[in-house]
Amino acid sequence: MGRRPIFSSQTDRLLAVLLKSPQAWQHGYALMKQTGLQSGTLYPLLVRLSDQGLLDAEWREADKPGKPPRHVYRLTPGGLAFAREQAATASKTTGALLGAKA
Amino acid sequence: MTEALRRRLAKKLMRHAACIMPAREKNWGEAMQNELQVIEDDQVALHWAFGCVIAGYTERLSALLQSWYGRSALACLIALLAVREFFAPLLIFAYRMQYLGLAHFLGLRTAGDDYRRLIPVMDATPAWLPVLWVAAGLLYLVALWRMLRRADGSAAPFFLGFALELVGIGAVQSVQAATGIIITPNPIVRAAGVALTLAAGLLLWWATRKRTFAAN
Repeated sequence: MGRRPIFSSQTDRLLAVLLKSPQAWQHGYALMKQTGLQSGTLYPLLVRLSDQGLLDAEWREADKPGKPPRHVYRLTPGGLAFAREQAATASKTTGALLGAKA
Repeated sequence: MTEALRRRLAKKLMRHAACIMPAREKNWGEAMQNELQVIEDDQVALHWAFGCVIAGYTERLSALLQSWYGRSALACLIALLAVREFFAPLLIFAYRMQYLGLAHFLGLRTAGDDYRRLIPVMDATPAWLPVLWVAAGLLYLVALWRMLRRADGSAAPFFLGFALELVGIGAVQSVQAATGIIITPNPIVRAAGVALTLAAGLLLWWATRKRTFAAN
């Protein structure tokens, strides 16, 4: 039997942001600003996603001279499929809740 | 706090965060540290650095609890908590069945070093209370077994056992009040026992929580 996926709101927020522009590489600080997650929450999530092959991470030279290289992130094809599946599940759940309320 | 001081503190915190990251995640520590260089606002940088320290400790604790020595230490702690739950029922059983050698031996491990001090308490203890303690101990053992088998939901039986233990502590208070005998006179030792059990439960939850995102 397969494991049930985790549905944490933080993961959903991060995946939603990464899903907005799936081909673009994003920096940690930019992800923090877009998701509203604290760095203490964001980085453990990025580590988990990367460990499980859902996130690509690589070093890029900084835009400004004299600055150190930065880590950038984007979803892998597997991560993209997973993020889409999560988004679809979340929208179904929201739809069902709204339907139940109406 | 001045801006320069904030920035210096943020840099120090970041170095600490990078240092405490587990060895296999050192590049993540470096990634967080380098990101600090592009944050221009010193207050935001300090906030970022605090978060990174939390991330560092989170990763360190996760790595520790996934290691064989971390899991072994936690397993020993849970086993000791289970043994502690069996202690009082065994002493009461030994006393009531007149196995006085065993009662004397166990009594040496109580405050006051003598089981006879506790006779009024044992006489006043209702029969269901030792059953409750044994059930709590068994639940701790179930949690331990599930943890060793890396099964999901290992913390649930542990916290159920802890709830029974708390009920037991409440019942013991009334027995102590009725007899006027305090089993463990030092309140710090009593509080430390509860705190240790709670800490073990939280570590168990942390060690066995799901870390997989995708269904596999």
